[in-house]
Amino acid sequence: MKPVQSLRMSWRAIRGHRLRSTLTTLGVIIGVAAVITFVTLGASLQEDILVEVGSEEASNIYVWVGPEDTNQGGPGFGAEPVFTSADVAGIDDLDSVENAIPYTIWLTENVQYRDQSVTRQEALRVTDPSYVADEEFADGGPYDPGENEAVLTPSAAAMFATNVTVGDTITVTTVGGPVDLEVVGILATDDSLSPTESFSTSPRIYTSPEDVGASRFLFLIVDAGDPTAVDRAREDTLAYLNDESEASGSLPSNYGFQLQTAEELLGQLEEILDLLTGFVSGIALISLVVGAIGIANIMLVSVTERTREIGIMKAVGAQNRDVLQLFLTEAVILGLIGAILGTGLGAVVGYAAIEFIGIDAYVFPTFWAGIAILVGILVGVVAGLYPAWDAARTDPIDALRYE
Amino acid sequence: MPTAQSPAVALEEVRRTYRVGRPVEALAGVSLALPRGSYTAVMGPSGSGKSTLMNLVGCLDSPTEGRIEIDGRPVTGIEDRARTRIRGESIGFVFQTFNLMPRLTAIENVALPLVFRDVSRADRRDRARDLLDRVGLGDRADHHPNELSGGQRQRVAIARALANDPAILLADEPTGNLDSETGARILDLFDEIHAAGNTVLVVSHERHVAERAERIVHLLDGTIERIEAVDGDETEAGGDDGRTEPVEVEE
Repeated sequence: MKPVQSLRMSWRAIRGHRLRSTLTTLGVIIGVAAVITFVTLGASLQEDILVEVGSEEASNIYVWVGPEDTNQGGPGFGAEPVFTSADVAGIDDLDSVENAIPYTIWLTENVQYRDQSVTRQEALRVTDPSYVADEEFADGGPYDPGENEAVLTPSAAAMFATNVTVGDTITVTTVGGPVDLEVVGILATDDSLSPTESFSTSPRIYTSPEDVGASRFLFLIVDAGDPTAVDRAREDTLAYLNDESEASGSLPSNYGFQLQTAEELLGQLEEILDLLTGFVSGIALISLVVGAIGIANIMLVSVTERTREIGIMKAVGAQNRDVLQLFLTEAVILGLIGAILGTGLGAVVGYAAIEFIGIDAYVFPTFWAGIAILVGILVGVVAGLYPAWDAARTDPIDALRYE
Repeated sequence: MPTAQSPAVALEEVRRTYRVGRPVEALAGVSLALPRGSYTAVMGPSGSGKSTLMNLVGCLDSPTEGRIEIDGRPVTGIEDRARTRIRGESIGFVFQTFNLMPRLTAIENVALPLVFRDVSRADRRDRARDLLDRVGLGDRADHHPNELSGGQRQRVAIARALANDPAILLADEPTGNLDSETGARILDLFDEIHAAGNTVLVVSHERHVAERAERIVHLLDGTIERIEAVDGDETEAGGDDGRTEPVEVEE
């Protein structure tokens, strides 16, 4: 029998039992939908970060010193403040580097505002104004270096009994003593501005190194200017750090320079997502097994119900292989329908979840949709094999007598 | 290869033994030839071996002993696949309960045997339409079996049985589920089909059905008791062992 013919006949048999067929495919639908939902979520999250990072920061290299031979803990793990202003200037002068800025957490004993003192050790972030220049401000704008100015995140502005507003003065007490800073800007959100902040949303006060006398930095943020130039800039930066920098002289033992591009940082995120995807896939696999058993079960019922039809087909010349083909096709169609509906459902639920969480990108995982379709076919074949074989070996004499 | 001389169906010393606990001999040595274009009826009480004979001639079953030829081709001692192919090509079944596929329309039911021979869709439709016209159901082609009367269903079944232009048309109690008037019209149709040159074998326990044939084979306890020519003459079955020589019908 021609495949297109068995497709036609099997499809008709499925349509004859619409509700039953739909319920049968439920297991496959749920399994596939679970995977597609999660993968959609993961891919969109990645894309969202990629767009955020990609537009401005794809050409960035984050530099710190950390224990050698460790690739764990993320950016800044075990970092020590070793970079000097001279190192920043030296790297900034490299041909392949467009811009290099320092970034560090400058320890404070407390932060004061209108006679109220709040103990915050890690609130003060010392960096170049360009670090915050492109961000969205709720009020005011970036600070100027050397003018005793600061920019606050919304939560930092809300640390005190009275909200800090632009034009107010706060006092930070560091190792060098108290320093007055004029608040010139408040950011729109608490979101972390770069991987150096480890995606944290804690209160932060940004100011320039000159104002608080900071001379050693935890991080260097090196901008290659163009994502394609990142590799060269990275090499040059590393060579400079090893051969000429002041930082190399104060490197703790067993420590080395760690350089990571935005892309590599994304890679780490991807690893975490892959792990979670694997976990969800495991759950989905159970659902698919249940789905396969459901299909196999309903196919066995179907074979029994249609014993007489099998007898008729055999009487008019159907070979065992034709009957096998018919029932196998039916099972595969059921699996395929489950996979297609599951993919659709997963795409919709994934979209809803993205809207709910507030991720700005929506990526439909085409590759995984393809995998889902293949899995649907596979489930159909596995589930249909025994029932179809059972149908094929039906004795036509008994079958024709079957009531 | 079929030759002009070979009968449509030839059985030679056919035995069929079932083993359900102790062996039961359903057919105990039957020899019979159905010449091309003949119309034969088989009668006998239940348990006489009618169904077994039908299944063997229809290539649904294999004899324990003996030899069967359809259209000059041996169907005994061959593998299942080949037997199924001969069944599809050379046998046309008509059942008491019609046995139509419930989800297929009349025309699709008629075309079903052609599906398994990979005939193209257009050719199948043409052939099925011709046959439906021939059994007087040209206007019911797209009806499903449950939209047809019993007589109409049996006509669809007969059209289906003729789809592959079979060497023999096998009918098992074809009027058993029909009222007498409808049944008579179905028997008229068999007469027409026979007149058109087809070989027909009808199994029935009803005398008036069997009498439409040229001769009646009476089965009893798995052997041919006697063969009766419908014009009244009788041929007694052979010796004490119940075997019969192949009997040709006088034209």
